[in-house]
Amino acid sequence: MASAIITLINRPFAHWSQEKRQLWATVLLAAAFAIYPLLTDDDANIDTIANAMSYATLALGLNIVVGFAGLLDLGYAAFFAIGAYYYGIFTAYQVMPPWSEAWAPLAFLGLVEKINQGGPDLVHFTMSFWLALPTGALVAGFFGVLFGAPTLRLRGDYLAIVTLGFGEIVPILARNMESVTNGAAGLNGVKGPTLPAIKAIGFGGYSFGVDATPYYYVGMGLVALLIFSSIRLRDSRIGRAWMAIREDETAASAMGINLRNFKLLAFAIGASFSGFTGVFFVSKLQVATPEMFNFSVSSMLIVMVVLGGMGSVWGVVLGAGLLQLLQTWILPQTTNVLHDIGHAINSDMLVAADLVQWTQMFFGIIIVVMMLFRRDGLIPATRAQPKLEMEEQHADVKRGGFVNVDRIEKWNPGTGNALEIKDVTVRFGGLVALNKVNLTIPAGGVVAVIGPNGSGKSTLFNAITGLVTAEGSIKFEGMELIGLRPDEVLQKGVARTFQNIRLFPKLTVLENVLIGEHCRLKTLPFGAIFRPPSARAEEQGALRKALDIIGLFGNRLTPRANHTVSGLSYANRRRVEISRALASRPRILLLDEPTAGMNPNETLELAEQIAELNAMGLTILIIEHKLDVVTRLAQSVTVLDHGDVIAQGSADEVQRNEEVLTAYLGRAHRAKIEAQDAAAAKEKANG
Amino acid sequence: MTSGDLFLQQLINGLNLGAMYSLLALGFTLVYGIMELINFSHFNVFMVGCFIALGVLKLMGMDGQAVILTGLPLIGVLLVTFLITMFSSGMIGVGIERLLLRPLRAVTGPAAMILTIGVSYILFNVILIGIGGDTRNFANPLPTVTWNIGGAVLRLRDVLIWGITVILMLGLTYFVQFTKLGKGMRATAQDPEAARMMGVEVDNVVGLSFFIGSALAGASGLIFGLYYNYAKVDMGFSAGLRAFTAAVLGGIGNVPGAMLGGVLIGLIEASSSQLIGQLWADVVIFSILVIVLVFRPAGLLGRQAPNKS
Amino acid sequence: MAESDILLDFKGINTYYGDLHALKDVSYTIKRGEIIALLGGNACGKSTTMKTIMGVVKPATGTLTFDGENILGLTPAQRVMRGIAPVLEARRLFPRMTVYENLEMGAYTRKKGPEYDQDLERVYSLFPRVKERRNQISGTLSGGEQQMVAIGRALMARPRLLCMDEPSMGLSPLFVEMVFDIIKEINKQGTTIFMVEQNASMALSIAHRGYVLQTGVVVLQGDARDLEANPLIREAYLGEMKVDADE
Repeated sequence: MASAIITLINRPFAHWSQEKRQLWATVLLAAAFAIYPLLTDDDANIDTIANAMSYATLALGLNIVVGFAGLLDLGYAAFFAIGAYYYGIFTAYQVMPPWSEAWAPLAFLGLVEKINQGGPDLVHFTMSFWLALPTGALVAGFFGVLFGAPTLRLRGDYLAIVTLGFGEIVPILARNMESVTNGAAGLNGVKGPTLPAIKAIGFGGYSFGVDATPYYYVGMGLVALLIFSSIRLRDSRIGRAWMAIREDETAASAMGINLRNFKLLAFAIGASFSGFTGVFFVSKLQVATPEMFNFSVSSMLIVMVVLGGMGSVWGVVLGAGLLQLLQTWILPQTTNVLHDIGHAINSDMLVAADLVQWTQMFFGIIIVVMMLFRRDGLIPATRAQPKLEMEEQHADVKRGGFVNVDRIEKWNPGTGNALEIKDVTVRFGGLVALNKVNLTIPAGGVVAVIGPNGSGKSTLFNAITGLVTAEGSIKFEGMELIGLRPDEVLQKGVARTFQNIRLFPKLTVLENVLIGEHCRLKTLPFGAIFRPPSARAEEQGALRKALDIIGLFGNRLTPRANHTVSGLSYANRRRVEISRALASRPRILLLDEPTAGMNPNETLELAEQIAELNAMGLTILIIEHKLDVVTRLAQSVTVLDHGDVIAQGSADEVQRNEEVLTAYLGRAHRAKIEAQDAAAAKEKANG
Repeated sequence: MTSGDLFLQQLINGLNLGAMYSLLALGFTLVYGIMELINFSHFNVFMVGCFIALGVLKLMGMDGQAVILTGLPLIGVLLVTFLITMFSSGMIGVGIERLLLRPLRAVTGPAAMILTIGVSYILFNVILIGIGGDTRNFANPLPTVTWNIGGAVLRLRDVLIWGITVILMLGLTYFVQFTKLGKGMRATAQDPEAARMMGVEVDNVVGLSFFIGSALAGASGLIFGLYYNYAKVDMGFSAGLRAFTAAVLGGIGNVPGAMLGGVLIGLIEASSSQLIGQLWADVVIFSILVIVLVFRPAGLLGRQAPNKS
Repeated sequence: MAESDILLDFKGINTYYGDLHALKDVSYTIKRGEIIALLGGNACGKSTTMKTIMGVVKPATGTLTFDGENILGLTPAQRVMRGIAPVLEARRLFPRMTVYENLEMGAYTRKKGPEYDQDLERVYSLFPRVKERRNQISGTLSGGEQQMVAIGRALMARPRLLCMDEPSMGLSPLFVEMVFDIIKEINKQGTTIFMVEQNASMALSIAHRGYVLQTGVVVLQGDARDLEANPLIREAYLGEMKVDADE
């Protein structure tokens, strides 16, 4: 029904582009909020909305941690507290060391003042609100790194509990460290912001008082800043990396994303958003108490994010707004209505009703209902897919390799060996999965690894790419790979696909491929948010390159570039995975059963495409069990069985090899085959 | 009091707390072992159980310390209260599982866990709105029988709590080790698909684990009431987090681990409260939680390191 | 063949994982008292067949009847009660339960009593090693010993049809011989056996008939002796078989 209304409103503007419509909608919304305080006298309402803005910024920060990066943080209010107490300590009258001349320079800068409360002279910190905002963010961000460094590698539910623990410890510390925080009574006399005098334009300075309106505008500024930053981050290399981590950590790491650094980044940025909201919140209330930062605040923020949509910037703002609306307007108003009805029909129960008490109950119900029926939230983060035209839907099998190959830079494989695997052993507990495996892959060559189920083929790939620990030596172009993390291995130029296709399900084809380019791009958060020309150029270049790569597959992927990969056919998902690997500009490509699940025609098509990649200079190591593919592609074949190499040679030699036949078919079979071959030869000889 | 007496008294207090936390941790770890789900509503089932027990005692005419019972009537009253409390709590747990968690069984990710946060809120507010947020007096029908061990005091209440806890633990162990359903539960925890193919009705096993877990939470709530003589709507969070720490310390998913962890946390809390004050004791306990998860996620007795998904 | 001879009729089954067509119009028949071998290379659909029979995976189309009764709607537990018991791939014993407890789990759907005791004795006599180690935690046994327990566990359900998923996987040659001898013995004692195997020669040496799968399609079938002599088996395994695919 909501979508019907939106369609109706959209109709006069249907010829405008999506972006233009969104831009104007945003402008109108901002204007409405900007004008509101000028139109109303009700300071209480303005105050409420200003509070709501604080919660919106908190929710936006949490959205980065939970929604983008998938890190479940149940103690987010801890950073809120840190920002708040930071500002509180540096403006209230709690921490006041004795005055000495050493403080004079800071007094000159306006950071402290000398006061006297009937005793020796004391230092009173008078940090400016505007200075506290960014520094509070930094302090909170620092604590984010401190908390996160030891804990972010924990699995999701454990991380949730640990963050819950942190979320509890911080208010408890606030309550206990009385000398600094004044304990449970809280810090009073936190100073509101002041606008300094600017003589040049005759502006005499302004001190925020109890009137809510100036806070409202500051709040609006903060919300706008955070919405802007969130959206910019989301649509950048950074946001993509976070979402990759959220969807599939292992694949993200194998595609070059440094898990630890990016998780810490998300956590720290989220913490800093929370920190500076703390500064703002406390400057408005002019007091900081431990109760303002306990679990109920953290969990309310979770409700906001869940309601709005995890990972959805506007959704989260909506969620925050709705919950505040519920709490401060809907429930009290409904209570009043009930009271009136109660008086009218003489019902004591209705007269005594107080729905505001029910706020938390509603929070619980909202969570349950959303999780059961609409897990993606009110404004889901994944956008709707555009429908495909008829011709775009159907794609013929193309023989003859790729399309538009000239768009792609060729490789120069060089000479010598691309990969040297020496005496590699992998153990899982007592089981030896790979036993002193030796394998050499010449530069520019195609080597196939075959073997029965459980022979260790995928384990070999995992050992090369750093997903399992291995003994021995694996040298890629002379560089030792053993001991490197998967993202480091990718950076060196070794890319892979997975046997059971590990794409990032909620992301589009293009986003998946762009993640492949992650480690070759350099944009950092600053660049992502402010988009200097270098960052913009980099992103454009990356997009072009990604389109070129998926263009190799003709019209199979290109029309679906903005479709979520979870809706694609199995074969297309395989193609996306290969594109993603190619996007990292590898020098060797490890393909794990790439034609699995494809019919014979598709298999042939892909085999030719792989041959073409090799012709362009890419070294290929492929696990395959379809021998016609192996015969067509491989210059050399290695056979694994139970972790041992049992045969190596050309495809033809290996097929006739007795041990291989035994491994696949069983002991007794060999004799029969030999007997048949002998009989056939004899017949031939006899004419 | 000499330091020896002090130590002994802390031991007694610690074991009481330990009993309560063990039962709560056991319930929690049972569900986790089978479903790998962190059930946030567990500690509010504990709270609801406490209020149910309070209500049952009131219905039977117990009021504050006005009525003191001994011998058979005492045992009878306690038995009835335990049975009703445990059964009702168990049914609440089953209700939560069947109605709310069952539909999410196939969904990967944190959806189920987040849902339990919501259920937790709902339980809390049902009591808050229905009964009120103030502290309620919990009836104490126990006679004041005490024994002196040096300077330390051992109360009848303490012995009773330990006795009940031991009985429940033995009962649980017997059930899990020796009965068919119990073995079905263990099999499901170790390999759910194989268990299904042996004919175990996994749905029933899951429901049963919730029932038992929640029943234990209810029993723990009753013990809280007997020990502290009050019930308050916000009692769940603090006790729950301690029980959670206990389960993690012992090894999450591990039944003997939960028992061990509970006792340890109880002892640690008792001694910390004495030595460094209640508030800092909280910090100590949460720090233990964080330290165990960071350095030894498998806990003392556990096998699996919960680092990889 | 007479209708009443057929114990399991797997007909026209199509199974999908998402859009991956794992089994394409596959049919097998298993007659009472037979040992049927299902062969094929990697990723050909053998495991999916097993899961479909046990009820863990549901087919999109096709019928599955056991002793004349349509069992597609039955849960795994119900199928065990009808008389189909699995020996799972890589054994999958319950690692922290004892050998005896694992055997007990096999009889989960039955009541204890004289028949249970009889079956326990039968398992112990087939596998003296298992009897020796009955109180040992099963996770500490060797692969071969675990396989024996796994077979014993399935026998404890007193099945009419024993479904074995790759019984030779991960076992040393000595144990493989032993396991296959025991399978022959069990069959002689009256249990019908459906065996999925990669080791074609061992499987065919004891089977009556066999089917060969390649990427979800039955490409060869017939008497075990004929299959053993057929050179096309090698091609099917190594994925070379030219199949008349209509895709």
